[in-house]
Amino acid sequence: MGQNWALAGMLFPTLEFGIFFLIVFTVGWGLRTAPTSRKYFLVAASYVFYGWWDWRFTGLLFATTVINYLGGLALGKAERVGLRKFIVGVTVAVDLGVLAFFKYYGFFLTSLDELLTTLGLHRDLPFMEIILPIGISFFTFQGISYVVDVYRGHIAAEKSLLDVMLFKSFFPQLVAGPIVRAADFIPQLHAPARLTREHIAVGTVLILTGLAKKMVIANYLATELVDPVFFDPTAVGALDLLTGAYGYAVQIYCDFSGYSDIAIGVAALLGYRFRENFDQPYRASSLQDFWRRWHISLSSWLRDYLYIPLGGSRGGGAKTYRNLFLTMFLGGVWHGAAWTFVIWGAFHGAMLGVERFIRAKLDELAPPQADEETPFLSRLGNFAQHAVGVVWTFHVVCFAWIFFRADSFGSAQDYLKGLADWTGSHDHVTPFLMGLVALGMLFQFTPRNMGRELALAIRVLPSPLLGLLLGAGILAIWAAAPEGVAPFIYFQF
Amino acid sequence: MLDLLDDTTADDNRVKAVRVADLEREEATLRSVARFIRAMWVAVAMLLLFNSGALVTVVNGFGVGPVQDAAVALTATWNEQMEKNGLATPVATIRAFVERLRGAGWSELREGTVELRGAYGEAKG
Repeated sequence: MGQNWALAGMLFPTLEFGIFFLIVFTVGWGLRTAPTSRKYFLVAASYVFYGWWDWRFTGLLFATTVINYLGGLALGKAERVGLRKFIVGVTVAVDLGVLAFFKYYGFFLTSLDELLTTLGLHRDLPFMEIILPIGISFFTFQGISYVVDVYRGHIAAEKSLLDVMLFKSFFPQLVAGPIVRAADFIPQLHAPARLTREHIAVGTVLILTGLAKKMVIANYLATELVDPVFFDPTAVGALDLLTGAYGYAVQIYCDFSGYSDIAIGVAALLGYRFRENFDQPYRASSLQDFWRRWHISLSSWLRDYLYIPLGGSRGGGAKTYRNLFLTMFLGGVWHGAAWTFVIWGAFHGAMLGVERFIRAKLDELAPPQADEETPFLSRLGNFAQHAVGVVWTFHVVCFAWIFFRADSFGSAQDYLKGLADWTGSHDHVTPFLMGLVALGMLFQFTPRNMGRELALAIRVLPSPLLGLLLGAGILAIWAAAPEGVAPFIYFQF
Repeated sequence: MLDLLDDTTADDNRVKAVRVADLEREEATLRSVARFIRAMWVAVAMLLLFNSGALVTVVNGFGVGPVQDAAVALTATWNEQMEKNGLATPVATIRAFVERLRGAGWSELREGTVELRGAYGEAKG
């Protein structure tokens, strides 16, 4: 996509990270009676973790943290509304400026160059090789949320630079989220760190399920189905393309939710609580429902810091549609500097508008009734409607994933054209890959409290048994997974 | 005055209760940390015993030097010993099973289903 990614760092499913975590856990808890030293240690560990990719970007992380910290302090002292607006505006503009430079500079110049060439006005533009700092989109959004929350009075300005540094750089969520809110995390830093049997049980279950999702399901689907099919969509048949789209839907879910699971689990083992980032998204019966379940930390961020400031649904029909579209459009742009992401976001924005419009019309024609008042047949109808909604939403999302995954807009077009031609071969539709797709989909429809039940069962295990379970789980995942460790998809954002 | 004394005692009791709760929390944290450290070492031991092949791969990725050479030699010997004692078998078995699944076509799946049905029928009598 015309960007250079710094991706040779410390990935979760590696021996390096295992050793790193062993040290951080032991020393971090050893320092529990000295909270400030513990925070210094965790910040140092997080900077080492980040520097493992490229140590030069630790300076950028520190500089943006200091800007957010100073912005927060200034907001804490300022009383005049105009001054407060100025401070929050400047701080957010600096954050976004840094993000824009690293993420969109190359894309902007390439697009401008193409436009000028098309118009016959070719110029030599100041192109530069810019390496995108890993996780910049995530820590920028965290920084913005901190300053805006202080401005809104949701949290007090944090006086300790150390706490803001730990909030922004805490390694489990640093490079690919979840996007943690200051209001959730900073109060945890003010209380003594605690580790309970529940933390351990939940952490173990999340780490093992996250590893299994990423290393087995996502990695096999990536290497044996999605990558070959998307590499040249004209070379494969329609059935392969269709399976490839389903496969990518499952791959990206297992990859990203797997990462989030591990991040939440690791944070839990260090005594901190992150909110859930995925809630069985492919069981959503509408796009609106999907966005309440998919990458929850980003969608709620976009809602609170973009959709609502734009006016949300307060300004009536047309303005609500505009706000929905703009929010999703910018959500697409956030993912990357490429037209495919722009189209992906715009498509979601447009479809959310269409869905809202249709629902409003349907509600006018047949107002919804409370469940207890509805007769059996009507409830059956609601169930059928829900089932159709799930299938429809899943396919709309899969359609949009094609643009999200394709290397270029042309490649996405080839993919869609290929779906209409059912004469080709279908070499990639094997029982193994179909089984993995089915397994990934199964995660969407298991009982919601299954993880909790598993954690409850593990909670009572004595340490040798817990160790055996952890060791056997990692061993089985390692043995079943393909060779090598692929980076997580969301590292590139 | 008596009311004030009662209030003070009540406050003392509350402070005491908070202190006891803090101490209990501190003890629970200590126990949990020790428990998970023990569990991690058991897991590490399991991985060293049963996944020694992966250790060789990792160590081979180190640069060249006397310490690295010694580490490579040590892990290679360790891996040989584990293989000789059959400890590499579980990983190899899982790998072979996954490889069989990967290589299976739709016809093998059908045959497998027929075999399973037959076995189920026989078991049912």
